[in-house]
Amino acid sequence: MNLPLLILFAPIAAFFIIFKYAPMAGLVIAFKNYTFYDGIWGSEWVGLHNFEQLFSNPQTLSIIRNTVLLSCLNIVFGFPFPILLAILLNEVRRQWFKRLVQTLVYLPHFLSWVIVGGMVVTIFSQETGIVNHLVKAWLGEPYPFLYKDGSWIAIFVGSGIWKGAGWGAIVYLAALTTIDPHLYEAASLDGASKWRQIWHVTLPGISSTIVVMFILTLGHVMEVGFDHVFMLQNSVVSGISEVISTYIYRVGLQGAQFSLTTAMGLFESLIGLVLVLTANRIARRLGQSLW
Amino acid sequence: MKATWGEKVFYSVNYLLLALAALSCLLPIVHVAAVSLSDSHSVMSASVSLWPVGWTLESYRTLIEGTGIVRAFKNNTVLTVVGVVLSMAATVMAAYPLSRPYFYWRRKLTLAVVFTMLFGGGLIPTYLVIKSLGLINSYGAIWLPGLVSAFNMLVLKTHFEGLPSEMEEAARMDGCGEWRLLAQVVLPLSLPVLAALTLFYAVGYWNAFMNVLIYINSPEKHNMTVLVQQMVQSQSLLQEINGIQQDDIKQMTPEGIKTAGILVMIVPMLIVYPFLQKYFVKGVMIGAVKG
Repeated sequence: MNLPLLILFAPIAAFFIIFKYAPMAGLVIAFKNYTFYDGIWGSEWVGLHNFEQLFSNPQTLSIIRNTVLLSCLNIVFGFPFPILLAILLNEVRRQWFKRLVQTLVYLPHFLSWVIVGGMVVTIFSQETGIVNHLVKAWLGEPYPFLYKDGSWIAIFVGSGIWKGAGWGAIVYLAALTTIDPHLYEAASLDGASKWRQIWHVTLPGISSTIVVMFILTLGHVMEVGFDHVFMLQNSVVSGISEVISTYIYRVGLQGAQFSLTTAMGLFESLIGLVLVLTANRIARRLGQSLW
Repeated sequence: MKATWGEKVFYSVNYLLLALAALSCLLPIVHVAAVSLSDSHSVMSASVSLWPVGWTLESYRTLIEGTGIVRAFKNNTVLTVVGVVLSMAATVMAAYPLSRPYFYWRRKLTLAVVFTMLFGGGLIPTYLVIKSLGLINSYGAIWLPGLVSAFNMLVLKTHFEGLPSEMEEAARMDGCGEWRLLAQVVLPLSLPVLAALTLFYAVGYWNAFMNVLIYINSPEKHNMTVLVQQMVQSQSLLQEINGIQQDDIKQMTPEGIKTAGILVMIVPMLIVYPFLQKYFVKGVMIGAVKG
């Protein structure tokens, strides 16, 4: 009875072995001095040399710091928005309005970062952008939003919220449908205002989902999407906007520093793995295991 | 029950905030569209807000004649259609065996798949594997490494597991084998989920960026995302566009061409988006309830 299933799964197994597990084996070059000529297995071992180089170089350290910083800012400012949006949507009684708002706020999720980045550059451009047109009208001087560290970070985090908040709200909307409507009636009979109903019924109703989502998010602290940073960064703000993924692309792939950047990638993946496993362990303790 | 004064305030504020959120998702797209349809003088003076000033299709003409966007559009279509067919077939082939309780290696193989969601070889080792397979500069480098999304596979597997076992048993009694069970019972019962996953894959392939950037060298094989990215980030776009007359250059701005490129990428998505909305919400709900 298992034979047809095995036949079905065999190509998939091949896919995972070749494209997922073989690259994991390829991580050995983090401990080697990889050269094209010698290949992965022929290159000489150098032990932890690449890691020593990584952690003694101020530039690579600042890249790791940028990665963690931008990611944390994304979480701190980005996490509450989907919850807020879901709670607000949940209080809408007019179905056509609810549907319309949902359709529009889900939309940015489907646009690639190239599109969103292109729109950001158009809108905040120093000479022709609409925002600077208004700034000039008020203050007389345009402001180089994409070329100052502070405003660059604000735009980075803001564009992430813009793109993701609507989509992120879906999970909370699903959780909200499980709340018993009688609770609202009872609360309202007891004279609870809308605000108190949200505070005492809605929020407790989705608190476990919030906790799980937060833990999950923490598990991805080491990941700042390549596309997002790559589209927005420029050489002026590279001190704050260079992150691990863009560094690996630029220096590793384009500069052929394979071993050093693989060591960096391995460091990132390992921290990520530990974070996800820890996060899941905490979730499990709260009775909300993810797998 | 009559709405109290406090409730009226609450609902007004709520509707206002949601309308703002919805507009914030819509207006940037409208603005970019307006810029793409305005003449260069209005764009340069940043006097375009939400409605084109000095209507002209000049930007689109330059885009189509001078940038190879037509070829990129065709490439996008090929990449998406072939990719979605391959990925959907592979995802079903992966999810179905893993959803069968009598499949002997079910748990171990599921664990092996889930592990690839937590840990990976990273950019450089994956690049070396794909290079060694001779896939550089072929679309195989886009399709094969992204064949199965582990997350999508888990969504489908969860759905398969939730199908009523009575139907399966009845089919078995009537002498239905594994293949027919999959083709004539399980798949027809899963159309909404399959539609959602098709959409997820389609969006992924349509927006494919990093893989194309890394693996596809020849410009004539580039897709729209990479083309638009190069346009957005190019400092001297007008010099790069071949075959336009000097007179024409005076009449247009890089902004006009960039925004036209962005629009050409978004519009096909905007057209299919409303039809698929009901499916993708369903799809993500299943994923949200249990990954």
